Amino acid sequence: MASQADFRDRQFLAVIGDEDSITGLLLAGIGHVTAPPDNQKNFLVVDAKTDTAAIEAAFEKFTTERKDIGIVLINQHIADRIRHRVDTYTQAFPTVLEIPSKDHPYDPEKDSVLRRVRRLFGE
Amino acid sequence: MSTQPHPTETIDTLLEHYLALLDEYTALRAALNTLQAAMYQSLARANFSAERGVRHYGRDYYDARMQALRRVRSGGGGGGGGAPVVVFTVGGPSPGGKEAATAATDEAEPMAEKEAASVGGDGDDDEKQKEERSEEESGTDNDNDNAEKKPQPVDPLRWFGILTPPALRQVQGQAIKAVEDIIPRLATLSAEMAGVELEVRRARKRRAKAERAEEKRIVELEDKMGEVNVSV
Repeated sequence: MASQADFRDRQFLAVIGDEDSITGLLLAGIGHVTAPPDNQKNFLVVDAKTDTAAIEAAFEKFTTERKDIGIVLINQHIADRIRHRVDTYTQAFPTVLEIPSKDHPYDPEKDSVLRRVRRLFGE
Repeated sequence: MSTQPHPTETIDTLLEHYLALLDEYTALRAALNTLQAAMYQSLARANFSAERGVRHYGRDYYDARMQALRRVRSGGGGGGGGAPVVVFTVGGPSPGGKEAATAATDEAEPMAEKEAASVGGDGDDDEKQKEERSEEESGTDNDNDNAEKKPQPVDPLRWFGILTPPALRQVQGQAIKAVEDIIPRLATLSAEMAGVELEVRRARKRRAKAERAEEKRIVELEDKMGEVNVSV
């Protein structure tokens, strides 16, 4: 089990999503840019031009490198592009949650938590 | 006599708890879908009714020095399956936080000035008090200067101008509801379910081990019975 120190400093939500999802969530006040010179954002706006490598790098940064992220939200259709990374992610912190986007409704078949459920029941 | 429950009973109890968590997870997922669909609809309405000059409420308006208003707080909680789990909550700045303290100082200053004015200069003691107060105030000003260097969190709605359409305010309300009520609970459930999965797997291993030991014992007993029959 994770120790108290593991999650005490994890105070931000991070988002990897399309522009509308990010705009909505930033309006809720979760956006944060760290102090200069780093200026690290806790979100990545993904559009048709964004490389899969950039998405993977952002996922890696939010889940492994940064120690101040508690929850990572990712649009499900974007998670599909790095499905192998999302499904093999097993760390307790940060927690990764897939969320629907405007053009891609939530599909339970692809949800990593529900995939775990199926594995537990031997399907 | 052993008081430990049978491994199968333990697994059944764990699975019962797991299914209850799964039920809540599924219900929250449905709620999040509905809320996000409404949020996207409101954002589309806001873009449709945008003022002249506003192309699209999006990344062009994000504040490059934004500071988080809502943060994750995680703490240990008791899992139903026996294992401790992490409970996530998301909330705005705490009442005792730095922002609140700064606001309180700002409010307190005019009060102090009023008090000083009402007391009036009646003697030396009052003058001394005034001097002390002015020193304190200058100290507070210095603190405020230091605080100003750090960007303070502002309402993200202000990034998009002063006269934002009501639909954009709706987007904000819906997003806050998702971020404060649904997402942290989903994260907690996901962590709790992972913990129960681990326990179920361990219990299954224990059961398999116990079954193997039982089979071995039966084989040994049968062998002994065979030896007794031969000697008779």
